[in-house]
Amino acid sequence: MINKKTCAAALVAFAFSMPAVAEEPMNDLEIAHTAYTAGQIDIRYAHLALALSQNDDVRAFAATMVRDHTAVNDAAGALITELNVTPQDNGLSQALVKGAGEKVEELTGLRGKAFDCAYATNELGYHQVVNQTVEGKFIPNTTVEPLKELLTDALATFKQHEKHAENMVSSLKCS
Amino acid sequence: MLVKRTYTRRQAGALLGAGLAALFLSGAPRAGDAPRTHKIDIQKFKFAPAALTIKAGDSVEWTNHDIAPHTATHEEGSWDTGTLSRGESAAQTFETPGTYSYFCAFHPQMTGTLTVEA
Repeated sequence: MINKKTCAAALVAFAFSMPAVAEEPMNDLEIAHTAYTAGQIDIRYAHLALALSQNDDVRAFAATMVRDHTAVNDAAGALITELNVTPQDNGLSQALVKGAGEKVEELTGLRGKAFDCAYATNELGYHQVVNQTVEGKFIPNTTVEPLKELLTDALATFKQHEKHAENMVSSLKCS
Repeated sequence: MLVKRTYTRRQAGALLGAGLAALFLSGAPRAGDAPRTHKIDIQKFKFAPAALTIKAGDSVEWTNHDIAPHTATHEEGSWDTGTLSRGESAAQTFETPGTYSYFCAFHPQMTGTLTVEA
C-alpha cells in the first residue's frame, strides 16, 4: 500500500526527474528560477498551514518556513539585481507549480490531524527531494560562483528544515 | 559653604602622588579587570563557541552569518537578542553569576550555554 508520505515524495520526485530536465543540464538562469520557485511554493504551503492548523508545533514550523525561505529568496533577488540577469522559466519550474497547485487543493480540504499529517509528510518529502536535487544537480551544474555560494548556504538551511520536518512527522504520530 | 584652597606646587605634587597611590592600593579596577565583550558566531545553524565562560559584568555579542534569521534566547525567558538577520549582531551584558542555557527561538535544535563567574 502506498502511504501519503510516499505519494507526496513521488509527486515532487516526478517533477524533478522529468525527462527533459534529466537529459539536459539546466543553465544558471534556469537553476535560479527553479530554486526561487521551489522556495515560493514552500512559503505558499506554510501560509496554508498557518491558516488551517491549530497545532502549535505545526504552526511554529510553518512560521519558520515563511521566515527562512523568504530570507533565502530575498538573498536570491538581491543577487539577481546585482548580476542584472533575469531567471529563466523552464519545464521543471512549471511542473513544480502545477504539482503545488494540486497539493494545495488537496490540503485545503483537510482539517485537524488529517491536515497536520498531510502538511508534515509533504514537507518532509518536498525537502528530501529538493535537497537531493540542489546538492546533486543544481550546485554541481552552477557556473556563476555567487549563485553556487547562495545555493550552498540555502542547502544548509533546507537540510535543517528536512530534519525538523522529520521530527514533526514523528511527533504527530501520523502513520 | 564653599572653601577655596590654594596649594603650592610642592603641595599639589604631594597630593597628586598620594591620590595615585591610594587609587592603586584601594584595589580600584585595572585594565585587566575591565569588562570584556565576547563574540559568538552563529553559522551553519550552530552557536560557536557553543559553551562560553565569562566574568560577571562582561558582555556577549552574537553575530548571525547564516541566510536564515536566528535569535539567542534564554531558556527561562530573561533575555533575548531578538531577530538577527544575516550580518546583524546583538549584545547582552551579564551581571549575575550563574549558568544560562539559551537556544534559537526559530530553530530550537540550536543551543548554547553561558557560564558567568563572579
